[in-house]
Amino acid sequence: MSATTAPIIKIDGISKSFGSFKVLDGLSMQVMPREKLALIGPSGSGKTTILRILMTLERIDGGHIQIDGEQLYHMERNGQLLPADERHLAKMRQKTGMVFQLFNLFPHKSVIDNVTLAPMLTKGMLRAAAEKRAMELLDMVGMADKAKAMPAQLSGGQKQRVAIARALALQPKIMLFDEVTSALDPELVEEVLNVLWRLCAETDMTMLLVTHEMGFAHDFADRVLFFDRGKIVEEGKPDEIFRNPKQERTQGFLKKIIAAGHRV
Amino acid sequence: MTQWSGYLGLIVQGALVTIELTLMGSVLALIMAFLAGMGRLSRFFVLRALATTYIEFFRGTSIFVQLFFAYFVLPLIGIELTPLQAGVLALGLNVGAYAAEVVRGGVQSIGREQHEACVALNLGRWQGMRHVILPQAFLVMLPTFGNNAIELLKATSVVSLISLADLTFQAQVVRAQTGNTMVPFTTILVIYFILALLLSWGVRSLERRLARGLDGVRV
Repeated sequence: MSATTAPIIKIDGISKSFGSFKVLDGLSMQVMPREKLALIGPSGSGKTTILRILMTLERIDGGHIQIDGEQLYHMERNGQLLPADERHLAKMRQKTGMVFQLFNLFPHKSVIDNVTLAPMLTKGMLRAAAEKRAMELLDMVGMADKAKAMPAQLSGGQKQRVAIARALALQPKIMLFDEVTSALDPELVEEVLNVLWRLCAETDMTMLLVTHEMGFAHDFADRVLFFDRGKIVEEGKPDEIFRNPKQERTQGFLKKIIAAGHRV
Repeated sequence: MTQWSGYLGLIVQGALVTIELTLMGSVLALIMAFLAGMGRLSRFFVLRALATTYIEFFRGTSIFVQLFFAYFVLPLIGIELTPLQAGVLALGLNVGAYAAEVVRGGVQSIGREQHEACVALNLGRWQGMRHVILPQAFLVMLPTFGNNAIELLKATSVVSLISLADLTFQAQVVRAQTGNTMVPFTTILVIYFILALLLSWGVRSLERRLARGLDGVRV
């Protein structure tokens, strides 16, 4: 990463409250293109909210976000910064894909239809082309033989791999993974993590992961951010954060996680 | 016995009118249900207000009065309707108002995570509704739609009061001509019941067809 490369995500002093509960309070951070970023921290620390804000599932109360050089929640019109309208948001969403903790597959559509729906509707792809691309993606996540199956026939790990293929079908530059293995039985976690390794090797996407898999975060991420109460308490290379955390809160959190049986 | 066979012809004619009314009324009711049900969920106040007014008005007044209004009052302002048109209009608008709430409930029963998947896949509001939310919601609505259709079937008997020759009307004719009350009314009682059975059977098989694959059973 050269010093001249511009960040692909630039978050500048954003805040977000749910009622009187302040989730994010003047948060700023940057993510470089191709960077793999792990967001860790106790629940309620705001890490999932950041992903949801980047996917426009939550609005911000204040601050600015730039994605790929363009404002996410604002539009520049005649030198003025106006709130983004639905068209601007739709344009910005093309850059980002998201995978959810509970998969959120469409239960009434087969595996392949789950993957082809959005490219056909939003990019005007013809069915034949969309299905060809979908089969390549399903092959990549090891689900090609289940293309005709319905989601209800799949295991959790299989569902999540389909959900990843579905998000990839729109060819986003940034992928957001929100606790994608948290809802899985332990023996199914690895098949999903293997897909992430494959994405890392075969694509140059920027990836943000909210995860409780500390071992995976350590091995996979270029940089780890530790969140607590809506702020970044500590950030650094995985080795620094996991082996040698400087902040007391980070140490406390990792101690609890290790006590709960997670490998670091 | 021979005299009954002639009267049976009347009853069959009546049954055909009742079936015709039920089918046409159901189509109108379904259209109104989706218009008003989606209107209730609209972001725009005017659409919400229109839908709510329609629903409350047609649920809150009697089908009998609505029918008489359509047939006897509308001509006074220059809208002449045949008995069949007045019947379809009144039945469709009345049952549509009930079914509109079924549409709203069905759409609202689909979880937030499905809407969020639509946003994450950059589907437009209408695209998500059309391809993701409504197909799932429709399955939720179907059993109650079946109830509504049976209600509509039974309500068709009021059209006999505006001289439309449906089942009930023909039974009255037979009764007047033969002086026998038991035979014609027992007959149409059974026919209404069979028609209602056919309706619930039809809706149930549609439900089974649409639900195929959703429960993990191999398709």
